[in-house]
Amino acid sequence: MSADPVAPAESSAFWQSVQRAQAAVQSLSLILGSLPDAVASSENPAAALLNDEAVARQVSIRLRRPGSGAGDDNLCRWLYDTFQSNDPDLQLVVLTFTPTIAGVYLSRAISREPLAGFEAVLLALYAYETVIRGGDPETVILPNLANPSVYHEAKAPPKKGAMELNIAVVSPALEPYGTVRSTKRARIVGVALELYYSKISSMPLSSKLAFCEFCMVWAGQDIGTENDGKEEGGEKTAAVGADENGGKDEGEVKAKAASVDKNGGKEAGEVKAGRIPLPWELFQPIVMIVGHCLLGPANPEELRTTAYSVVEGLHWRATHDMNPQEILATRSLLRLGKMGDDTIAEPQISTSSDDYSEEALKMKARLT
Amino acid sequence: MLCACSGEQYRFEEERPPSPPESLATRDFSTGGLSSRVGGLSSRAGGDGDSKLDDAQVDDVVESTLRETLSLNYEEARALLGRLEYQRGNFDAALQVFQGIDIVGLRPKIIKAIAAWTRARQARRRGECLQGNAMSIHSVTLLIEAMLLKSKSLEEIGRFKDAALECKTIIDIVESAWPHGIPEGIGDDSKLKEMFHKALELFPKLWMQAGFLEEAIAAYRRALMKPWDLGFSRWASLQKDLAVALLYGGAELSLPPHLQQLWGYAVPTSNIEEAILLLLILMRKVTFQEISWDPEIMNHLIYGFSLTGQFEVLAGHVEQILPGIYDRVERWYVLALCYHAAGLDDDALNVVRKALSYSEKKHKPHLPSVILGAKLCCKRPLHAWEGAKYAMKANEISQNQKHFLGVTNHLLGVCYGNCARLSVSDSQRLKLQNESLKTLQHAANIEKNDSEVVYSLARESTMQRNLHIALENATKYLDMVAGSSVRGWKLLALIVSAEQNLREAEAIVDLAMYESGAMDQLEFLRLKALLQVAQEQPKNAIETYKNLLAMVKAWKELQKWSLSSEVKAVKDLEMEAWLDLASLYTKLGSWNDSYVCLDKAKTFELFSPKCWHSKGKLLEAQSKQQEALIALLVSLSIEPDYVPSMVSMAAILRTRGGKSLATARSLLMNALRLEPTNHEAWMNLGFISKAEGSLHQAADCFQAAYELRQSTPVQNFV
Repeated sequence: MSADPVAPAESSAFWQSVQRAQAAVQSLSLILGSLPDAVASSENPAAALLNDEAVARQVSIRLRRPGSGAGDDNLCRWLYDTFQSNDPDLQLVVLTFTPTIAGVYLSRAISREPLAGFEAVLLALYAYETVIRGGDPETVILPNLANPSVYHEAKAPPKKGAMELNIAVVSPALEPYGTVRSTKRARIVGVALELYYSKISSMPLSSKLAFCEFCMVWAGQDIGTENDGKEEGGEKTAAVGADENGGKDEGEVKAKAASVDKNGGKEAGEVKAGRIPLPWELFQPIVMIVGHCLLGPANPEELRTTAYSVVEGLHWRATHDMNPQEILATRSLLRLGKMGDDTIAEPQISTSSDDYSEEALKMKARLT
Repeated sequence: MLCACSGEQYRFEEERPPSPPESLATRDFSTGGLSSRVGGLSSRAGGDGDSKLDDAQVDDVVESTLRETLSLNYEEARALLGRLEYQRGNFDAALQVFQGIDIVGLRPKIIKAIAAWTRARQARRRGECLQGNAMSIHSVTLLIEAMLLKSKSLEEIGRFKDAALECKTIIDIVESAWPHGIPEGIGDDSKLKEMFHKALELFPKLWMQAGFLEEAIAAYRRALMKPWDLGFSRWASLQKDLAVALLYGGAELSLPPHLQQLWGYAVPTSNIEEAILLLLILMRKVTFQEISWDPEIMNHLIYGFSLTGQFEVLAGHVEQILPGIYDRVERWYVLALCYHAAGLDDDALNVVRKALSYSEKKHKPHLPSVILGAKLCCKRPLHAWEGAKYAMKANEISQNQKHFLGVTNHLLGVCYGNCARLSVSDSQRLKLQNESLKTLQHAANIEKNDSEVVYSLARESTMQRNLHIALENATKYLDMVAGSSVRGWKLLALIVSAEQNLREAEAIVDLAMYESGAMDQLEFLRLKALLQVAQEQPKNAIETYKNLLAMVKAWKELQKWSLSSEVKAVKDLEMEAWLDLASLYTKLGSWNDSYVCLDKAKTFELFSPKCWHSKGKLLEAQSKQQEALIALLVSLSIEPDYVPSMVSMAAILRTRGGKSLATARSLLMNALRLEPTNHEAWMNLGFISKAEGSLHQAADCFQAAYELRQSTPVQNFV
């Protein structure tokens, strides 16, 4: 990723990858117009592309434009081709835009616009993950404290064979899909987000902030509560609210607002770019990503505060959907986020003491 | 003097500015040279030195002072000076001073000195280690402290990576001297140990600050994998930090091979496993009261278990929490959520009942618990009234908290619908049905964007055979979720089939299959076959069943590993398919085929009311009425409320006439109580009335049977 000098044996591979990246930059500049010099004439174009905010903003504005993501969308084609180049650095560049692609796609899927361009990119991510996992589900073997580890001693030595493995499926096995089947849409996007999560430590801040912004819209907290019937207004405040915390990306806000206005003008009732169905297969990767944004090491304050409001929105949504799994996950994140904010002890402790005193009162009452 | 310095070391963090006397002395070194004047100070300071030191250490001090002929060497002087600058907050200056110490060159000597000192302490034979040119342990401590302060100075000026590397040197050195952890016989008062512990703690934090997650995690693991005698709280806080880094770091960093080897059995294969293990260890420490309760640990654990879906295990941990930490209602709520998420709805409901029981009446009712209770009751028709009670209560509470009003009305509507199906009297049923639709409509008005309400509305209307509204809402629902809901598709197909528009229903099923994955396709295939049977296309239906069974077989072979719920669903589906085939062959009159299919179905579950019912029907078709009755009786003895068996039995009994008519009638009445829309039951009731001579009543029954048949879907809604 960095522009360190490379050993001669690897140099040909290195140059090949630089050439690929240069080609990608070239074709991107054809789509976007001119690119900043920092990217265009960089020694390591892939890394420059990954970290260049101006390019990221331009791309995300284009992805949010009304009518984007159709089958003939050049940018989607570029994203698709770039991901298919199988160059890890370039794939990271594509992954940075996963939040925006997924966000715009899921919000628009409801209105049945042609979205073949977005679908192609998402399917490419899904197919990549399918190949990597090789038809196996992602599982976790639950640790058993009866087995010794380097972190603790077991009381009794494990009886061989007697220990039953407690295996949990984190992500079920993937079926290959050539098109987005509507009942599998959430799964396909969810897997793309799982892939995004697996690389999240390399993702730039703007990408994570974009994700948080869309999460707020998906959760749809503001809609249906304060703004009964005024979906658009609610939606705009949700988007802007997320970005107010996010700061900087004014261009994105404008683009977002513009897309809302445009669509809103076109057909008022149609663009409910708000609440979308959030089944667990989609909710789970969302929570993982937001969990990272909230509690990941060395995250900037800006991201943490944004993530915290996203967790609030998700928790609100979970309590509305009455899904216990979602409630428990967001609830714990909410509390952890709060604890990070101020180091005052948990509020529950005070309530529990209240509880006690009341208990004591009851006892007394019985005695007298 | 060294003793005094060491005494200071404990406080170097807190104490800025420093104490003056030493500063005077050390200023001398810095300006002049490493003169012998220090000696005087040394012995003086040594006199009022740390009384905590044991004899051996005091002796060491004396000997080392003697041996070093009352002088400090260059490195020691720099170490002292650097500390002063650090304490004053002059980190750059401190750094400059520390940089003059050639740690690389001194490294072997330090390692040797620590090893020798350790041997001496263990043997309790003083002096042994001091032969040769080994450094005294005090110089070593001083140097290690210098390195630690250097690292801290680097941290202060924001050079985190360099700070971490400096810290690493300390750990490398000490680890080379103590390859198996802190040896026995090193007391708690050892300054060297204290320095080392501080370095262990600091090291991963520095990597974290520098933004190197991988190195940070490696550092945590390194600190935790050897018996460094860190003490409970330090150990626990390192474990917690590692768990947090692993859970939220966002990068999969598997254990290095040497650690895996060390681990041996049951090595964690992913970060989340390792994190959960650490959190479980911490929870156990809490239970044994080795560390105090930390809500963060529990919340991290809930998060970890939620992502991996291990709610039964989580419930166990919630139950283990000592009383007084959570308040009762909250704890019950979390527990109920765990059980519900684990699929143990009965347990969940029991816990919710506790939270809402009489003993909690004095508390303000806990809205989430009430809502959860209503939701749990929604899923089980027999608890309909209890659910309605909760839903009403929730509705009442949420008049003040408007944002739950939609949810509570939704639940209330569903519960009313369930109540209607339970109620015995017609008038009550009608009233409840109306109420249900009204409440659901109200909920839909409040929560305009909640597709689930629309689904419930469609479902309830279908149950009430209000097909027009049902169709409208089912279509709206599928539109709202952009066709992403399998049950939405299924409901739509069933509604259309209830309208007796079988061809279109089949087209919908085809479309749904195109839009779904392999698992859901199996279910749709069965629905398609049922539709084909209803359209009197037995050949096509048999073909579809063949496809279905072939796909099931392929699915079983392909899946190395699947969710138990999926396995069960496929198993049930396979059995249903064989039973469907059996009844299809029965209708076609090919008894042998029917028996073969029935036997196949029985291999899944011998004591299934469905199997015995199917057998009864087959025997009946063969005119073996007596055997048929026995089979149906077996079916009813397994499941006394199994409506199809009641109806079939009544149908056989009715043909016998005489006294059997009364039995048949009572069976049918019972069946209709359970399932008022069963058209076959109405028809048989009509026959009985006709046989009994009450033609008027018979006509009514036939009329009802006809009308219901016209609105019966090919498959019951579940």
